Amino acid sequence: MADNAKMQPDDVPSDLETEDDAPLSDDGQEDQIAPSPETAAPTGVGNRHVDIGNFRIFPDLRLAEFDCGPSQAFVAEGTKRDDGPLFALLADPLLPTRSDLLRVLSGVRVAGQLDLLDYEIVYWPPLDRSTIVCFYSKPGGSKVFTDGGKKAVIDEHDLPLAVIAPIINVLTILSDKNLAHRNLRAENLFFADEERASVVVGDCVSLPAGFAQPLVYEPIDRMTADPAGRGSGALSDDLYALGIMIAALGIGHTPLSKFSDKEVIEMKLARGSFQTIAAHEKLPLTLIEPIRGLLCDDFEERWGLSELNNWLDGRRVKPVQGNTDRRAARAQNIGGRDYYTTRGLANGITNNWAASLAPLRDGVVEVWLRRGLNDAERSKAMSEAMRQMAWSGSDKRTAEDVLVSRGIAILDPNGPVRHKTFSAMLDGLGNMLSYDVQHGSGAQAFSEVVVRDLPTFWFSRLSGFRPEIQSQQQVYKGLRYYMQQQSMGYGYERCLYALVKNQHCLSPLVDKEYVIHIAQLLPALEKVAAITPHSNWPVDRHIAAFIAVRLQDDTEPQLTALQNTGDEVEFSRSIISLLALVQWRHGPDSLPHLGLWVARLMEPATKVFHSKERREKVEREIPKLAKRGNLVELYNLINDEKERRRDQDEFIAAVEEYSAADSEVFDLESSGSVRLILAEQIGRQVASFAATMIALLTVSALFMMIVW
Amino acid sequence: MAKKDKAAAKPAKQAKKSGGLSFFAILVMAVLLFMVALPTFITLVVGLLPSLLAFMFDRHRGRYLVRCVFGLNFSGVAPYVMELWQDGEQSMAMATHQLLDPMTMTIMYGAAGLGWLIYLVMPPVVANVLNLTAQRRAMELRQQQRDLIQVWGESLISEIEKGGR
Repeated sequence: MADNAKMQPDDVPSDLETEDDAPLSDDGQEDQIAPSPETAAPTGVGNRHVDIGNFRIFPDLRLAEFDCGPSQAFVAEGTKRDDGPLFALLADPLLPTRSDLLRVLSGVRVAGQLDLLDYEIVYWPPLDRSTIVCFYSKPGGSKVFTDGGKKAVIDEHDLPLAVIAPIINVLTILSDKNLAHRNLRAENLFFADEERASVVVGDCVSLPAGFAQPLVYEPIDRMTADPAGRGSGALSDDLYALGIMIAALGIGHTPLSKFSDKEVIEMKLARGSFQTIAAHEKLPLTLIEPIRGLLCDDFEERWGLSELNNWLDGRRVKPVQGNTDRRAARAQNIGGRDYYTTRGLANGITNNWAASLAPLRDGVVEVWLRRGLNDAERSKAMSEAMRQMAWSGSDKRTAEDVLVSRGIAILDPNGPVRHKTFSAMLDGLGNMLSYDVQHGSGAQAFSEVVVRDLPTFWFSRLSGFRPEIQSQQQVYKGLRYYMQQQSMGYGYERCLYALVKNQHCLSPLVDKEYVIHIAQLLPALEKVAAITPHSNWPVDRHIAAFIAVRLQDDTEPQLTALQNTGDEVEFSRSIISLLALVQWRHGPDSLPHLGLWVARLMEPATKVFHSKERREKVEREIPKLAKRGNLVELYNLINDEKERRRDQDEFIAAVEEYSAADSEVFDLESSGSVRLILAEQIGRQVASFAATMIALLTVSALFMMIVW
Repeated sequence: MAKKDKAAAKPAKQAKKSGGLSFFAILVMAVLLFMVALPTFITLVVGLLPSLLAFMFDRHRGRYLVRCVFGLNFSGVAPYVMELWQDGEQSMAMATHQLLDPMTMTIMYGAAGLGWLIYLVMPPVVANVLNLTAQRRAMELRQQQRDLIQVWGESLISEIEKGGR
């Protein structure tokens, strides 16, 4: 995102006030860092600004110390009320934000958490597009931790009160709402005041859960997932991160920072999290107990808030086993390496996808589970997976990939869903898809995972109750159906919007407008309609899917009609219907540009009437209604059910009449010879009749003459 | 099948029977006339000669030629038979006189010719009338179709074509 954040002074829309009070510096693209958090509102600095809602942001004044992963911080000030010193955190538009946390934290003061005053969608000139900006109160003190230091910033004896207690408060509030922070790390801590008596945790809403976390902060079951797919997680994941954070604050640097991510994963898998950190870092003795408890690799055994509170109160807490993974009596070799635990083996299989097929298919892993690990349940599941592969039929290659994926699920059910290069937690599939789609990787990997029904298998392998997973299970039920449908309103687009609540609409038409809520859609399209040629429909696959998910009404009839692109009448009618439905529900009342756009393309929809007169009447009405910008009226014009039925009935009668006339004309034209025969017969009859009559008249006349 | 053939053969047999019967009745009447009124018989035989010829040659069902020729031929002969009865008192001289008069023969045979002419002319006339009626009806129907297209436009044509396919 930093690459994109170039100044484009010309690109400022009229609705967002931007002023160039002073010329830009020579290198206008260079980030400028504000002198200190305490700096007063920089009105006199002479930089251009963007006003949005109650806030003013200065795009030229960066506050790099408040950056959070790819989200960039800028100097901001309140314009209508005194919110004190604050800063704006600009979310990367290519990453989804966390809607649930935005809703919960916005405008609410949570002790221990940086105050999220508000958030707005704002057009950001340097990016030439809109994105979400979060407005945070500036903390009273500076950043707690800068990685690379050798000395602890906070004394280990002060940690419980200064750090752990405020964070416990944050976690308690979030866990009460079934949410997790997932951005707890030492680098994201700020001193709440100048006395440095306590800390506040920084942003957690501007980017996907766990996305910006260094790998060491991720618990053992989530660490092998791609950053975007680490999942929203739960309290236990936050507590693990808290354990690492305590260790980092205790030793003055991020634990295991000298190792690569791959080495960290392997060490954690081989020895367990706590043992790995204890082996390589000199942990303060007073903090060993909570670190051990919080870094327990079994999330069910890991310390919870009550254990942590007990420890803070000085009470004895039950000791936990650092590494609970069962070790096999003998090793299983994959790709030239020996593995003793199921998690380790699952990771080995993921890293050696092709080479792992043979041991899985030939039952070697199954035998290892049964004899080496003495795990009859997993061994049985593995043999069942092998049997299912044998039944798979013609697509053997797919079946083999599915077997490997299922093998990983059996070995490490709490880990991420892994399929070839794809790796995401069950509760992180949506964010992973969003990341892949927006970063050019496409939706192929996700499609394969869903179409092959791997999430369902993963769900079936999960043991124990995890509420965050249970809620996800419901969402996944429809995904396979969506993926199997090819038409507009379905496909990966539907899955994306169904899974990621804060995903903005990725349609090229409105992508830059950052449309998250359905109510934003039509104003964004109206804006686009004013400047683009009206050559294509204003609804594409993304917009159709977006409407289908975000609109509360049932749109299935419209989407079903969209399946048949050959029927242009129904197709156009359905599109107008979708847009009209959105306008009816969410307004605005007048969309003149969009109305004209729709009117220009709705010619096929007028064919819904067969009668020329009715069509001409509709065509006369369309421009008038289009000017008023009321799509509902436009839709009603072509969807007058009574009029349509009458038109249909009359049309059927007309067709019958035409056909009858046609066949009668055909009969008349083809019956020439028959008519000649008939004429011959009738002619003779007429002639004989005439002759007889003449004879009768003559005889009668003669008789009369004689008589009289 | 055999039953059907039998059923079809019955009316043909009956027709033949009735034809034979009428011929027999005419023969009996002719014999009676010959015996009672010979001059009338001679006038009728000579005057109705075209009808006799037509009767012999017209083998068509309905014998319309015979009817046409006989009807007008009789109209031509009837005045002379009346004259024979009224003025000539059934005399052979009168009958001979009439038959030898070219004017009489012209009227009798001319009338028969006129009957034949009517028989020839009437079928083409009727054919023309029927053709004209058919053409007029076809034009009416075409106009009706044009009116329908005027009202319903292309969709009617495409629907008809669709139906045709």
